[in-house]
This record gives sequence, C-alpha cells and structure tokens, in this order.
Amino acid sequence: MAAPLVVRRELFSLVNILGGISQLGPRGLGACSNHRKCSQTRFELLQRPNTFFHTAAYLSSTPFTITVTDEPDTLFQKVVVLVKAHDRAVLDSYEFFATMAAKELGITMGKVFEPPKDIERLTLLKSVHIYKKHRVQYEMRTHYRSIELLHVTGCTAQVYLEYIQRNLPEGVAMEVTKTAMEKIPDHILEPMWKDHPIDDKSSK
Amino acid sequence: MASFGSKVFLLLGRTNVSGVGYRKTGNRATYATALTVNSSSTNKARGGKGSTGRRPKRGTGEPRTEKMALDQDWTSVYPAATPFRANAVPLPLRMGYPVKRGIPPEKKGNLELIKIPNFLHLTPAAIRKHCEALKPFCTEWPSALDTDAKCDELFPVKIQSTDYVSAGPSIRNPSARVVHMKVKLSSLNLDDHARKKMLKLVGDRYCKDSDILTIKTESCPLRQQNYDYAMYLLTVLYHESWKIEPWEAEKTRADMEEYSWEDSTSQKNILDTLLRINATGEGEEAEVREQLLGREEVLEYKDSVETLKNEEPSESNMLRYKEAVRKVLKVWQ
Repeated sequence: MAAPLVVRRELFSLVNILGGISQLGPRGLGACSNHRKCSQTRFELLQRPNTFFHTAAYLSSTPFTITVTDEPDTLFQKVVVLVKAHDRAVLDSYEFFATMAAKELGITMGKVFEPPKDIERLTLLKSVHIYKKHRVQYEMRTHYRSIELLHVTGCTAQVYLEYIQRNLPEGVAMEVTKTAMEKIPDHILEPMWKDHPIDDKSSK
Repeated sequence: MASFGSKVFLLLGRTNVSGVGYRKTGNRATYATALTVNSSSTNKARGGKGSTGRRPKRGTGEPRTEKMALDQDWTSVYPAATPFRANAVPLPLRMGYPVKRGIPPEKKGNLELIKIPNFLHLTPAAIRKHCEALKPFCTEWPSALDTDAKCDELFPVKIQSTDYVSAGPSIRNPSARVVHMKVKLSSLNLDDHARKKMLKLVGDRYCKDSDILTIKTESCPLRQQNYDYAMYLLTVLYHESWKIEPWEAEKTRADMEEYSWEDSTSQKNILDTLLRINATGEGEEAEVREQLLGREEVLEYKDSVETLKNEEPSESNMLRYKEAVRKVLKVWQ
C-alpha cells in the first residue's frame, strides 16, 4: 500500500483556545507563574470585553480557523516524555494529568514508569574560616517520570506537547525524545553508477 | 502634596492601586502592614470619615468557600495556574510538620500550601474541556501502519532528536541539536560487495545483532543542519559502497571479513594428510583431491572449522570439531 499522505493542520493559536476555554481573568493572569505565556496572554485578553467573562457565549463568538495544508505530516513511532522534579508528589499529579490528556486526545500510550531517582550530595565546610573537621552536607534529589507515546502524528504531537508544556509546573523540567519515521530518500534507491559504470574489474 | 508615605491599608491590592495614583507627587514608600499609623498632614486633604483621621479597619468577612455551591463550575474558580488561596478552596486541608503533640497546621496562612505547585486548575473536568477544544487540531494515525513491522518496512529510516524544556536564564539548550539517524541495512538496496564495503566504511556505527546503522550528527549548530548532514552522509556511503575501485582487486585473505575454507591452509593440510594415509598412487592427484573433498567427513570437518573461526569459540563448537577430526582421521576411541 502506498504511504498514506496525512495532511498537516496548522495550529491557529493554542493560547487563544486555552484563554477561551479556561476563561482567564485579569486576576488569574496577574498571579500567573508561567513566565513564558504571561506577557502574550495579557496583551490579547485586555482587548476582550469583560462582559464575556464566565459565559459560554465567549466560545462561540470567536471561531478558531483551522487551515489544512497538503504538506505530508511527520509520523512519530515513539515520543518519550521524561519529566524531572525535586518532588515526587508533583510528578504523580503531573503524570495523572498527562496520561488523562493523552487518553482524551486519543493517543496510544506505551510504558509509564518511574526511573530511579538521582541524589547529588555535596560536603562543604561548616565554618567560614578554619574548623576543617566540621562539615555540612547537602543533597539534591531529582525524581523522574517517563511517559511513552506510540504512533503519534506530527500535528497531534505538536498539540499534545504544547498543551503539556504550557501546564508544566514551576520547578519541573522536561526532555522530549521524538523518533520520527521516514522513507528512504529517492536518491538512495538505486546506485548512480549503474548508468555510468566506472570500473568493471572484480572486487576480490 | 503632602507625603502620603505612612498611610497604610490592610489589603495588598489597595496599596498598589493607591500607590499608582499618588506616585507622581514626590517620593513615597508604601508599606503593607496590618497596623494603621497616624499621619497628621493628610487629614485636611482627605476629609476622612473620622475626625481623628483614622479609617476604621474593615473586617475580612466570611471566606468565599462558605458561599460556594456544591455543583459549581470549578474550572471558573481556578481557570489557570494560580497559587493556593485558602479562601477559595473549599477543602479541609492541613499541611506541614506537626509540632510536638500537635496536628499539621491548617490551610489559612499556610506557606507550605502556597509554595508547592498545585494542580487545582487541572481537574479532570478542566482537562476534558481543554481536550475537547484541542481535538480539531489533531490528526489520526494512518490505520494501515498498526504494527511496528509494517512501519519498519515502509519507513525504515528513523530520526531521533530531543527537545529540552526547563526554567532558566535561557530557553535554548545546545544538546537539542543532536540528531541520531538509524537505518536497517537490510532495507537498503545493497549487493554483497556493497554491503561489505559499507560495513568497512562505517566501522563502529553498525550493530551486528540488530543490523542497524546509527549515524549521530552533532557537528552543526542547528538541528536542521545536522539532519541534512546525516542524510548527506547516508547518500555518500551508499553510493561509495557500490563503487568498485581498481585497488580493491588487491584484497587479500587477511582483508576478508569471514573465514572461508576453500583454498585455505586447513584444506591443504587435511587433503595432504588424507593423501598420505591413502597413499595408493592411482589416478591423478587432482581427481583424488576432488574425490576426497566430496566425502562426507571432509565436509563435516569443513563446517566445524568454519564455525570455529567465524563464531565465538564455545564448548559445543570445540566438541563438534573434535568429532569431525576423529571421523576424518578414522580414530575411534
């Protein structure tokens, strides 16, 4: 069967969607801890009238345009999301959120497991001057959580990852490893020497 | 205007707002403490409620949780990531380490609850709402590619790259430019000579057990550049391995990848030995040699020697060789 062409959908603005659904108010925005989106959302929301606050009419009033292009979608065989934090409880909640989001969006999940934690310890001198025998020890614990998604298209991966990353709590880092599949490029299918043979001597 | 400085209010929000209004007239400092301090000069300007100039302290009133209905829409109470507000969360939470013979402190004014990131804005109802809105932007996975085997057959080239998200002075991470490209050599159009030459060119990057060639590119500063370089390398390797150079004709036995028994010292030795054992002198030597080669024991000996040389030596291989030698030399013990 020929390779199926999956059209690519452009994301209009994820901020608009989240702003619309969650009905962000100026109060919620002021205390927004996510620095990345703060300035962007504030500018957009100040333009919206406050009368549309907390009403369902807000959603239907602004239609989100979905543009479909003919560019073939990338296919990801595996997307592995590794989250790192200093608190195990935060990672538990985040894992629940990520797995539920994947289920709602219809993404098949592979393994969801917890790699063993890393503890980095330092031993420092307790006093500013002398007293070598008296030290103090600190440690930094990094807990991990790994979520594997299988058979994701490029558009779905972009949507899911952006959603996940915008809701990443403070103090949590993420590494996303994507394995994309591709066909063999056309110029590798046949050797180019067949039409123009260089040497006819035997190899061995 | 007179200095506003020491006039303070209970609520933080108020302080900020009034600070903005009076900022233009000189330096002032707004403090947020729970005490009201007397200020003599602003009395006349304000014309405040009391004759003493003190605004009566406003009570806090009952917390919002008392007015919350049981079936309210929680997604509108916590629409986005916000710190924990004890007055807005109708849960009897306690957090903190209890002092001796005590219980964990209550939620009112609890710093531990404010410090930890909360997921109150991501309740299942909120997630469902978000996903409903995100659904139109997702695309379906093609149904014909359900198994890994089909994917490998149609799309053999795998490109692996990593993205990093963390808080810090910069959102860039230099490790994000690394690209790993994995191909199975069996999916490329290579003949015997081309495959052997490709393996020699590639060296360590090939894994014999899984038949996967891995090309890791990190020399370029951008991921797109590294990807293009990896594809370029694959193209060059492929075409070079099909090329037959004139000096390849000088390939000696030592350059061979695998041990082959034909025309080897082992074959010469065994044939000489057998000829000497059966020294009858009839017929040509070449015919006798061919006859000997066709014999079953000699073929078995050939197999055992080849397995010993090509694969890792093990107990079973050695035993097989021993049995083969016994049969060829007809030594029964």
